[in-house]
Amino acid sequence: MDPILVIVVCVIVGGVLASLGVHLLPVGGAPAAMGTATGIATGTVMLMLGAAMCGLFTASSVAEFSGNILLVSLSGAVGAWIMMGVTMLMANLIYVFGTGIVPASGRVDVDPITKESQKEYKTPQCDGHGVPNVSYISGMMGALVGGFGGAFMYFALLNYANFEATMAGVTAMGIFVANAIIAAYNIGGTIEGFHDPKFKRLPKALVTCFVISLFCGVSVWLAANLGGLL
Amino acid sequence: MTVTPAVEEEEKVEAKPAEGFVFPPDETRLGVISAIIAVIIVIIPGLPAVIKAVGMIFALLWGADSVRKTSKYGLGTGVPSIGVLAMGYGIVGALLGIAFVSKIGYQVAALGGVLLMGVLGLISGMMSNSEKVIGMKIPKLERGMMELGMAGSLAMLLQLSIVAGSLNFDVVVDKAISNGLIALMFVLSMMAMFHPYNACLGPDERRPRTLMVSVEISGLLSIILGIALAATPGSMWGVADGVSLIIFGALVWIVFYVKFVKTAMREAYSVVGTGLIKTIG
Repeated sequence: MDPILVIVVCVIVGGVLASLGVHLLPVGGAPAAMGTATGIATGTVMLMLGAAMCGLFTASSVAEFSGNILLVSLSGAVGAWIMMGVTMLMANLIYVFGTGIVPASGRVDVDPITKESQKEYKTPQCDGHGVPNVSYISGMMGALVGGFGGAFMYFALLNYANFEATMAGVTAMGIFVANAIIAAYNIGGTIEGFHDPKFKRLPKALVTCFVISLFCGVSVWLAANLGGLL
Repeated sequence: MTVTPAVEEEEKVEAKPAEGFVFPPDETRLGVISAIIAVIIVIIPGLPAVIKAVGMIFALLWGADSVRKTSKYGLGTGVPSIGVLAMGYGIVGALLGIAFVSKIGYQVAALGGVLLMGVLGLISGMMSNSEKVIGMKIPKLERGMMELGMAGSLAMLLQLSIVAGSLNFDVVVDKAISNGLIALMFVLSMMAMFHPYNACLGPDERRPRTLMVSVEISGLLSIILGIALAATPGSMWGVADGVSLIIFGALVWIVFYVKFVKTAMREAYSVVGTGLIKTIG
């Protein structure tokens, strides 16, 4: 296949998956820091950047030994997965044993996966607490999808655009965060997971991220082509 | 405890950048001035690192000002997001810029990457603000994102050119990218863009005071780039280039740090010192 097509398609896939991943993370923002909203107490950018970085570390380690795009992308997904899993677990430990609150979803009355009732555990005037089961599972899916996308983009830049490992990593991170931030604007900063009503806004972010990734993919191809790497 | 009335201090405090003209001009003027200075420094080859650092400071100042005027309305995701976005575009723009330079052969070609990132910023701003797509409804978001894309690319190009000595694709990849310095530049320049407003925002935020923090962080960035440059001298100026950059960065950092702390203490209603910072002011 033509290199421009491969690179652009891979960058678009990475960018769109990054956007989807952000929509699945339980991001709480500032209210979550006080325990009055569901999710991890930080911004989308920090969570997704952290997950993508961990994914890129594992992906670049595997890319040293393997030329299989699926293997490298999945290793990136696993890296992001571990980071998000540990973060959500530690956040929950602090919420439960430090702050003394029960993880409960604020958006749904019954957990869609475990069918546990949430309403009784939610403090009045609050928007949920901690990371409940459904948000945890949603966050794991988000990290899997996001890490896969980031590593996919990294592999394409490394092997199809012939970038150096560092250059591919930093460029993949740059394009990844741009898409993650546009997705974060779409959800207005906080989301609980796939059960949150804001998740229905997903197509709008996907369209925007498609356009941005298309532009970035063409730019990367242009850089590789003019720089004499292709 | 020092109690100072905040009202009469409003006109007194005027920070001056390295050049000495009236600071701060309004947002448009600062953008135009910074862009022109940064562009001129980008397109002239073979300048010493200190002059490139001045251009970098202006580019980052422009970025910080754009972050300030965009996130004044509340982005919903925190101020840092837009600074990170700027440097995400900046990296792609800088790569494009050095690729253009290596193809065409003149440093002017690097501006191609800057302009393309301006277009990308405009597109993403329009899509984010449009009612039909994301609908953020932030006034002038289009312009803010366009400026951020351009400022990020200019800052990145100048940093790469400081460390590598030129904007030649192979030299830049060899000296500034493959050894991982680019990650440091990525993080510190986004700090210089988003940290000022992120740290200073609030009801009593004042533009000159906020922008001082940006210059201060650029000074720190210059010190680090200077150390990298002194370790691997790239241009015709040799080790002196790196050492002068370290001295310049340290000067900028000390001057603006002291100025910022003094200004913040003067404008505060009351300062209860724990000892450490109080001694400076």
